[in-house]
Amino acid sequence: MFKVEMEGKTRLFTRSAYPSHYGERKIGDYREWLPSRSKLASIILKGYVPGIKRDTRLLYLGAATGTTASHVSDIVDGGVIYAVEYSAKPFQKFLRLAMERKNIIPIFADAGNPERYSGIVEKVDFIYQDIAQRNQVGIFVRNFEFFGKSGAEGIICVKAKSIDSTADPDEIYRKVIESLESRFEIMEWNELEPYHRDHIFISVRWKG
Amino acid sequence: MEYRLWFGKFVNDRFEKADDLRKSFSESCNSAPLPFSVSDIGKEIFGDDYYRILRRVAIEVAEEHVERELKREDRYVISLVRTLDEIANTANLLDERLRELKEIKNSQLVEMFEEKLIELKSLRGDIEKEIEDVMRKIAPNLSEIVGEKIGARLLEKAGSLEKLANYPSSTIQVIGAEKSLFKALSRIRKGKKAKVPKHGVIFQHPFIKTLPKKKRGKMARFMANKIAIAAKIDYFRGELDESLSEEVWRRYEQLSRS
Repeated sequence: MFKVEMEGKTRLFTRSAYPSHYGERKIGDYREWLPSRSKLASIILKGYVPGIKRDTRLLYLGAATGTTASHVSDIVDGGVIYAVEYSAKPFQKFLRLAMERKNIIPIFADAGNPERYSGIVEKVDFIYQDIAQRNQVGIFVRNFEFFGKSGAEGIICVKAKSIDSTADPDEIYRKVIESLESRFEIMEWNELEPYHRDHIFISVRWKG
Repeated sequence: MEYRLWFGKFVNDRFEKADDLRKSFSESCNSAPLPFSVSDIGKEIFGDDYYRILRRVAIEVAEEHVERELKREDRYVISLVRTLDEIANTANLLDERLRELKEIKNSQLVEMFEEKLIELKSLRGDIEKEIEDVMRKIAPNLSEIVGEKIGARLLEKAGSLEKLANYPSSTIQVIGAEKSLFKALSRIRKGKKAKVPKHGVIFQHPFIKTLPKKKRGKMARFMANKIAIAAKIDYFRGELDESLSEEVWRRYEQLSRS
């Protein structure tokens, strides 16, 4: 991935042999990665570089239409992405991406039931989760139990409103981080302002 | 011990390769994490072709499932909502019957009847949960704005997600208030004074219910607007757009303060 100063802004690009997927610009071999559309892009633009490498084996929970996944697929061109999504409509679009990319294994399932795909997904180096659900932390931990190599890394994006729409976001974040601490080493966390309101990401390392 | 992998299964340490990979892929369910990595075994069997074959099977299975899913899910929710209503009605009737029976005689049969009735009532909770799950899946935006329950009710009245997506917001605003709407319309036609309903099903939403009467119409109109947009996104795109529910939230705060 590449950060470029352009048009008075820092912009993010990934090198890609494939065409544009969600209407993003393509300049030469590079696809622009828009922070407004992808939380992972905003994480990187906020200065945190996640441990996703060329040969990473990655489990992606909540692939939606594949906006973020398409860029991750550019990055791990020697690895594999197992992408889980359970909503039929966005999955249709995502499937088109999966057909084009050789390193994406699409799985149409509920991330809350890792049992369902336990015989498909191998042990992975990285788990990325972006699902706005009340029990998203529990889902994250369960997937690590099933698929995390020891010392595997992960990023979870938490939306305060989807955990509790009335409580104070800072209070929610504190609780979420606290509940992660027993199973993970917390490496970094931050808000996603100004790109996404009331969201944070937490980068972790699996203790199991 | 049995481990089910997408290309076959281990039964007591003996491996059986599956004949139908699509079938075994869909059935590769294990209640606990596997003590090994699936790909290590797979590469012994398929060699370098492992990921190519896995990908092909995954895409084929996903295509099939998505298609099936898209056809069915809204009808499923609608049918569940109606089932829920009917169970509620029936349970009430049976409750009365049970009370009468109990007064007359407390036999073993009456006890059995009571047990079954309690079971029937607990089924209601299960159905509600299923409705919530499916609604989140097929109508994430609608669910985000009005909640799964009201969303499902709107869907039931409209008849399908497609129809709801094609409704104008003015119709959505009064879904469930047809009786009073048509009464008002016929009065207007006769040149009499009439009260046109401000809200139908969406009145159940706390944002409308908790506002003073004067402001409910404003909120209902705004919310119906956003519901109309949400239904369209749900039907055509299916992705969650968080800005919609935030707008509704802000509008509510505005109205409840002023």
